[in-house]
Amino acid sequence: MMLLPWLPFLLLNFAAMLHAKSSTGDSVLVVLEPSLDQSNFSVFFDGLRARGYELTFRAPKALTPTIIKDDVPSFSHVILFAPETKSFAQDITPQSLVQLLSLKTNLLIALSPKQTPLSSLAAEFSLVLPPPGTPAVSHFPERDTPASIFPVDVSASNSILSSTKAPVWYSGISHSLGNNPLLVPILRAPVESFATDSSDDSGAPSIVDAAEKGGEGLWAGGNMGLVTGFQATTGARITWVGGVSVFSNEFANKEVSKGKASGNAAFSQDVAAWTFQESLVLRIDETTHHKVNESTSLSQYTTNDVVTYTARISGWDSGKAQWSPYSGLKDMQLEFTMLDPHIRTALPPVKGSPGTYSTTFRVPDRHGVFKFVIDYKRKGLTHLQSSTTVPVVPPRHDGYPRFLSAAWPYYVGAISTSIGFILFSTIWLAGDVREMKKGKTSKTE
Amino acid sequence: MSMAYPLPSGLSPATVTNTASLIRIVTLALISGAAIASRLFAVINFESIIHEFDPWFNFRATKVLASQGFYEFWNWFDPTAWYPLGRVVGGTIYPGLMATSGVIYNILHALNLPVDIRNICVLLAPGFSALTAWATYMFTKELKDESAGLLAAAFIGIAPGYISRSVAGSYDNEAIAIFLLMFTFYCWIKALKQGSAFFGMLAGVFYFYMVAAWGGYAFITNMIPLHALILILMGRFTSRLYVGYSSWYAIGTLASMQVPFVGFQPVKTSEHMAALGVFGLLQIIAFSQLVRSHLSSKQFQNLLFVAVIGTGILGSLAIVGLTYKGWIAPWTGRFYSLWDTGYAKKYIPIIASVSEHQPTAWPSFFMDLQLLMFLFPAGVFLCFKQLRDEHVFVIIYAVVGSYFAGVMVRLMLTLTPVVCVSAAVALSTLLDTYIDPVEPLVPEEAAPSASGDDSTTTSASGSKKAKKPVFGLSESTTTQSTPKLRTRPGIFGLDARLVVIFNAFGMLSFFVFHCTWVTSNAYSSPSVVLASANPDGSQHIIDDFREAYYWLRQNTPETSVVMSWWDYGYQIAGMADRPTLVDNNTWNNTHIATVGKAMSSTEEVAYPILRKHDVDYVLVIFGGLIGYSGDDINKFLWMVRIAQGVWPDEIQEPNYFTPHGEYRVDDQASTTMKNSLMYKMSYYRFAELFGGGQAMDRVRNQVMPKHGPTLDYLDEAFTSENWIVRIFQVKKEDLLGRDLKSANAFSQGKKRKRSKPTVRRRAIV
Repeated sequence: MMLLPWLPFLLLNFAAMLHAKSSTGDSVLVVLEPSLDQSNFSVFFDGLRARGYELTFRAPKALTPTIIKDDVPSFSHVILFAPETKSFAQDITPQSLVQLLSLKTNLLIALSPKQTPLSSLAAEFSLVLPPPGTPAVSHFPERDTPASIFPVDVSASNSILSSTKAPVWYSGISHSLGNNPLLVPILRAPVESFATDSSDDSGAPSIVDAAEKGGEGLWAGGNMGLVTGFQATTGARITWVGGVSVFSNEFANKEVSKGKASGNAAFSQDVAAWTFQESLVLRIDETTHHKVNESTSLSQYTTNDVVTYTARISGWDSGKAQWSPYSGLKDMQLEFTMLDPHIRTALPPVKGSPGTYSTTFRVPDRHGVFKFVIDYKRKGLTHLQSSTTVPVVPPRHDGYPRFLSAAWPYYVGAISTSIGFILFSTIWLAGDVREMKKGKTSKTE
Repeated sequence: MSMAYPLPSGLSPATVTNTASLIRIVTLALISGAAIASRLFAVINFESIIHEFDPWFNFRATKVLASQGFYEFWNWFDPTAWYPLGRVVGGTIYPGLMATSGVIYNILHALNLPVDIRNICVLLAPGFSALTAWATYMFTKELKDESAGLLAAAFIGIAPGYISRSVAGSYDNEAIAIFLLMFTFYCWIKALKQGSAFFGMLAGVFYFYMVAAWGGYAFITNMIPLHALILILMGRFTSRLYVGYSSWYAIGTLASMQVPFVGFQPVKTSEHMAALGVFGLLQIIAFSQLVRSHLSSKQFQNLLFVAVIGTGILGSLAIVGLTYKGWIAPWTGRFYSLWDTGYAKKYIPIIASVSEHQPTAWPSFFMDLQLLMFLFPAGVFLCFKQLRDEHVFVIIYAVVGSYFAGVMVRLMLTLTPVVCVSAAVALSTLLDTYIDPVEPLVPEEAAPSASGDDSTTTSASGSKKAKKPVFGLSESTTTQSTPKLRTRPGIFGLDARLVVIFNAFGMLSFFVFHCTWVTSNAYSSPSVVLASANPDGSQHIIDDFREAYYWLRQNTPETSVVMSWWDYGYQIAGMADRPTLVDNNTWNNTHIATVGKAMSSTEEVAYPILRKHDVDYVLVIFGGLIGYSGDDINKFLWMVRIAQGVWPDEIQEPNYFTPHGEYRVDDQASTTMKNSLMYKMSYYRFAELFGGGQAMDRVRNQVMPKHGPTLDYLDEAFTSENWIVRIFQVKKEDLLGRDLKSANAFSQGKKRKRSKPTVRRRAIV
């Protein structure tokens, strides 16, 4: 059952295998603002081309190529580098971008301190942007660049940014993250950073306002995000970048310290890899269930059966551009659910059999329509969801034990009564006959 | 000996008997034909279709039985009902009806008659009504004579009280149960009369069939012991009673315990305790009779005194103790509601919400029984005059049946047979008296002719039989029991006879007209298909239900779960073949209350409930457009009440009324009402239909507001031609994890309010 939705992708992948490293396709539309020159981003774009993507460029107001036609997306991925554009062509609206996500197209969107349709769209992803015209600034560490251009350290544990080693130059806005569980923070703001509407250090009205209100009115601190991913329920990914210059050649070539190159080039490829479904992409190939010591799947189980459930999980290997069995999940769980989980058990990988996760458990003593549910959601990883419905029925009429030792009194009762009845009948009938005979004989005598 | 009219003479008694029995057989055959034919209105006016609600489940179960065999049926677990709880069908139904159809189906197919299972199901009830007529004939024959039997058979054949449950297509347990009821009673009377273990056993076997067929078997379970008990109290204990009762009880109880749904109930629940108690009492009495025959009367009296006191105390202590310990289940709610008509409304709204559980209105007695209602007391009175054991039975049945019929509409069905029987006794006594050509003797001649009375009676009885061919009615047996010294009451002259007989026949023919009219107009509607009249008088068929169910069947995935109020569960399962949350087998009150809560809450509250239960579609019945009054808005208060029973803090009935205490759906409706899911689904886009004109709800006769409710969590999927059935699809969770209300606002292009960053710590003051 679970295999079917993946089939088209499998076929697609065979076609795309030679080219792209993405699991969902290699066509990319880049909507580039006229003010941004393509050559200023050549490091980023060439990096993408080198990894097999076919880039198509278009201006925000150009009519073709459309991002979506007849409800079918024209590209696998869309990069929106139009942070200051106030009006787009008709096919690019907040609604159409959300529709793209529902059609499993991935988006990479850059923002700027200016108020645009895209910045109001960010609110739908529960990103809360600061007031217009308030970029993030940081005075630390000491450096020769303006306060609005600052290096950000990349934490080593971030699995998305695995190849980014050096700090990343950043310039743009920060945003606050809502409590939406689908958000995937990629780059957090440095703790010393804050948003302000003034280039110098005094007379920033928004800071003053916020400070007077107190509390969280300040757009400051390490909780703010700079680059934030979002994984929609369809699995499509969208990444919000607070400033487009992160991807620029200028930042890529800028040194963070003497002789040490910035991480921007690696960072931008990492972000694109995650967004375009190259890294941290998993899927459930198939799930099977059967009674323990049997191999065929049953359409229904009986209460108290011991059942083995197996899931095969593959991860996308962008190096080889193919799916390969993935055994790296250690904390996956299986639920056996009817309204509430009746059983929740670990679903560990099977040793010696890559990509296989299996567990064996006893079906509860409760009949009903149960579901085997895998609901594995981790930040950054593709959400793994699988639900297999299977009825659990009470034992058949002949499925109960035939003779119970506890019932011996009743058996004895039934047998003795039967014997007694037969004895009684025999004696009664036979005795009657003898009497009759006696009477008869006496008469004849 | 004067005669009012001459009788043919010169016929041999054998000819008379043979002719009489031939005519009886022909008459019974004709009655059966009439019984079947009058039930076919539904097929002729509409089509061969299963009616109403429960029959759809029975039909579905029968299909399983016919296609997969009995054992699979017995073990059938239906995962589509009561989703996701499922229903163990084999263990929770009375399989008698399906087994009967299955047997008929297999026999016909063995005979190479490839009859569709649906037609067997549709025509089962009419077929069994013919058997009911025969069983009633046999029963009444035991009570009076063949002529009363034939009358009773004719009455039960066409009485609307029984037809209402047995028209073609009304494939419900009652269809075969009334036949079984009457035949069990007949066997019981026969066993009692003859002291026959054979008939007792037969009663037991048919009792088993009845148990397998209908939950109303408890009526027999209590009627027969009650009869036996009253006979004992009347001092009529005989060995015949002992043999008949013991063989019925032993075989019937053991057999009934083989039905999985009944199981150990006969020894565990209070409803069955009377039968067990009377059985024990009979053993004690029989034993004491035995002891008495061996002891002197003084000793026996002492012994009896001690024994009676002792067993009485022990017995009641045992019952109390067992009930207290929970070994014997206390009375069920359904049973309490028989004694206290307000009980169900207070404690079990789910029972009270069923229209057929309401107390009976007076007109429906007349509607269902017409003439018989007036003859009924007369018949009971005549039973008192004779008061043999079987008459006692009819009297008890009449009293108990009348009470129950007054309490619940559906129990009119159990009253109907006894009404037919006693009415037949009354009417046949009347006809006997007035058709009998023998005129009474003039009082002066009474004394001298007393000796000659015997001879005239014998000759008269010969001639009486001779007149049978003329009227098709046999003579009463009262002559034998008339005291010899008193003059026989009788009628002088032909004119008096004619007046009364014409009157009687006039009433009878009006009865026939009434029955036919009621049957064709009131009881033959399948309720799945509705009929209305066009302006030119022609029939207009409203087929919204099937239209909608077939839409579901053909346009939705097979696994999509449909939520509706429980009334439509069986129909959705039967016609749309989709899983349902709740259905007419109302075994789980909480699950029904959950649906009630979802229907009566706001969308935001209902949505998690719907998602938790994997609901894909919600189906509502809305009659406001064409004035179909049985719609969900009219049932809505029951949903609220049932939900309130489980969630008294969240759902409160008064919130659904206007401040003046009215139940309104228009502008003045309360906010809770307007925000309830049921209201929103019912009136969604209703006003648009009127194109700016006044939107009028034709059921409640209220003008709807111009701007109707909006839906965020559901999408309209289908609305049938006359808007009776509306189906809504439950939206999936939002793509971006928003609540669907704001997602909807976004997709409609509405600006979202700028939000501040979420406050994670308290403001510094």
